[in-house]
Amino acid sequence: MFDPMANAPPLWSNGPTPGSFYNFPGPQTKPNDHFTHSQSPVTTATSIVALAYDKGIMIAGDLLASYGSLARYRNCPRIMEVNDNILLGAGGDYADFQYVKSFIEQKIIDEECLDDGIKLKPKSLYCWLTRVMYQRRNKFDPLWNNLVIGGIQDGTPFLGTVDKLGTAYTDRAICTGYGAHIALPMIRDAIEKKAQPLTQAEARALIEKSLEVLFYRDARSYPKYQLGIIDQDEGVKIEGPLSVSQNWNIATIIKSV
Amino acid sequence: MFLTRSEYDRGVNTFSPEGRLFQVEYAIEAIKLGSTAIGICTSEGVVLAVEKRITSPLMEPTTIEKIVEVDKHIGCAVSGLMADSRTMIDRARVECQNHWFVYNENMSVESCAQGVSNLAIQFGDSDDDGAAMSRPFGVAILFAGIDEKGPQLYHMDPSGTFVQFDAKAIGSGSEGAQQSLQEVYHRSMTLEEATTAALTILKQVMEEKLNASNVEVMTMTPKDLFHMFPKEQVEEVIGKLT
Amino acid sequence: MFATENAYYPDYSTKPIQHSFSPYADNGGSVVAIAGDDFVVVGADTRLSAGFSIYTREQNKLFPLSNTTVLGCSGCWCDTLTLTRILKSRMQMYHQEHNKVMSTTACAQMLSTMLYYKRFFPYYISNILVGLDNEGKGCIYSYDPIGHCEKTTYRAGGSAGALLQPLLDNQIGQKNLTKVSAESITQEKALAILKDVFISAAERDIYTGDNVMINIITKDGIKEDNFELRKD
Repeated sequence: MFDPMANAPPLWSNGPTPGSFYNFPGPQTKPNDHFTHSQSPVTTATSIVALAYDKGIMIAGDLLASYGSLARYRNCPRIMEVNDNILLGAGGDYADFQYVKSFIEQKIIDEECLDDGIKLKPKSLYCWLTRVMYQRRNKFDPLWNNLVIGGIQDGTPFLGTVDKLGTAYTDRAICTGYGAHIALPMIRDAIEKKAQPLTQAEARALIEKSLEVLFYRDARSYPKYQLGIIDQDEGVKIEGPLSVSQNWNIATIIKSV
Repeated sequence: MFLTRSEYDRGVNTFSPEGRLFQVEYAIEAIKLGSTAIGICTSEGVVLAVEKRITSPLMEPTTIEKIVEVDKHIGCAVSGLMADSRTMIDRARVECQNHWFVYNENMSVESCAQGVSNLAIQFGDSDDDGAAMSRPFGVAILFAGIDEKGPQLYHMDPSGTFVQFDAKAIGSGSEGAQQSLQEVYHRSMTLEEATTAALTILKQVMEEKLNASNVEVMTMTPKDLFHMFPKEQVEEVIGKLT
Repeated sequence: MFATENAYYPDYSTKPIQHSFSPYADNGGSVVAIAGDDFVVVGADTRLSAGFSIYTREQNKLFPLSNTTVLGCSGCWCDTLTLTRILKSRMQMYHQEHNKVMSTTACAQMLSTMLYYKRFFPYYISNILVGLDNEGKGCIYSYDPIGHCEKTTYRAGGSAGALLQPLLDNQIGQKNLTKVSAESITQEKALAILKDVFISAAERDIYTGDNVMINIITKDGIKEDNFELRKD
């Protein structure tokens, strides 16, 4: 019954304030079955520098896996020999690369078991990795990598790349990370200045120069690196650890004002 | 064929040693008990005519519906188990509407028949797509339609096999009717001639006396598309029969 | 000390860098299409970029779907790769199911439904579908990322779309002109305008440049053309 002495409830309690939604009374429910996907890379590797020359592909990457700005692991190879005509290089999250590496290795083993002489081709791996990366993006759980796939298919060098979204393209020269800003303009310039495709020696010189400049400018780079080469005549090999040639003499010449 | 009847005639998913699926063959037999339906395809259009069996004077003839519209440009005549035919017609309609929704164009008659055929063979063991049907449909269908290839007539049996025809009869009177169709059909037939021929043949094979309430007639023309004859128009055609 | 927390200098921030994952990227690119009575021309630049870096200078963004239909895509490249692959297989499936090549109009409707089915996680692409309709007339369909479709006779889309559409309105639509010609556009004129507008786009839009791939669709098939833009 109405009691004029009792405290009346406030008018319009729980009612929507102008411009906002009605708050339903009762406990606010929260989902408790959610889990967090990786939103950022943790242990990271920096640039990959890759280019096609007249008879093959060259991919280089240093051996450092950084933990933020800390040079945490200094012997982390990230050029992978997939089979005798595919090389894979990776930048970005090192753990994700190890995961990618393991399932590619398993794929190669499965293929070997069939023993039918058919082996994975570079363009097939490139396309497949594009699909893998895109599907992980769709699940909002990306593999935080830049993958560079190099190989020889039908007698011509192939070079392609895929990023964490599944963005994929092919080109004569591909650099990821800081390499895209620092090394790629140099490499494109060298390629454009020469009408014919580069030779292996020229390609190697270009990559060595690129890694040198990157080492001077990219704080997350390292002077120890690996160089993967696929050549029509020489087959596939990964050289290294190699050292970046350094020249710090100019450091003493530069005087800050 | 019934002499070879054996334990293989029960399952819809077991071939007999001679390589036959008896249940499907029985279903094909079943449609020979259905009411007769005739379709004739001419260059002007397609005509479908069916008999309606009025088994009792107390029956309401208009509730028997053996010619139906699937889309504006496709119509069907069915014979056999009418309840089964509803499911198939439903599928045909859905296929046509879906095709229009996705492609903004009329579905071709052949594709429509293909869609219904896919449903017709979904008997047998159930799989991931859901429970299968226990038996084949006991229905024969005539598809009459207009598409970019012009007027078309297709026939489909319970096995899901569909074939294009110039003229085709299904149902109990189909054997005699098909014979007659072969005699009267010629390529330069007009639609009017075809309509008359269809009803003449229907009259011959029907047990009851043909009248305006125990037949259904439909024409499919590029101009008017699906056109079901009203009673007066049926009477008019019957009047012209000798 | 110096501008450590200044939002204008994120590189000098001492706070931890916050990464958050975005499934989309803007990879730029422009597509322009002009239709005539018995032809349609469509052009797309070949620059694939992200922010200030150019991924590649030679990326084709025109996808022939049949002898009379071409799709031009710009926007999120990973979505473009996926959409065009699905489209290609849908074209083949249609061909096998219905025993005919899909018409441009049917393809236009199909693309609209495909985009709308991804309404809540859209393909971030601005699509321009061009081709010849069932009467052999040139036609252009342009889309928003969630499947809204509009049939037009000329269209500019992508990163320089907003820059070029008013230009086309004037040059082809003859908008705001006192002397209006009733004649329909010729193939030569369309091609010339197409090249001109791309030159203009390359001047002002950093995401448009390098090269233009052009497809000219007539009843005789698809003819390809290519011309260079500034590369800076």
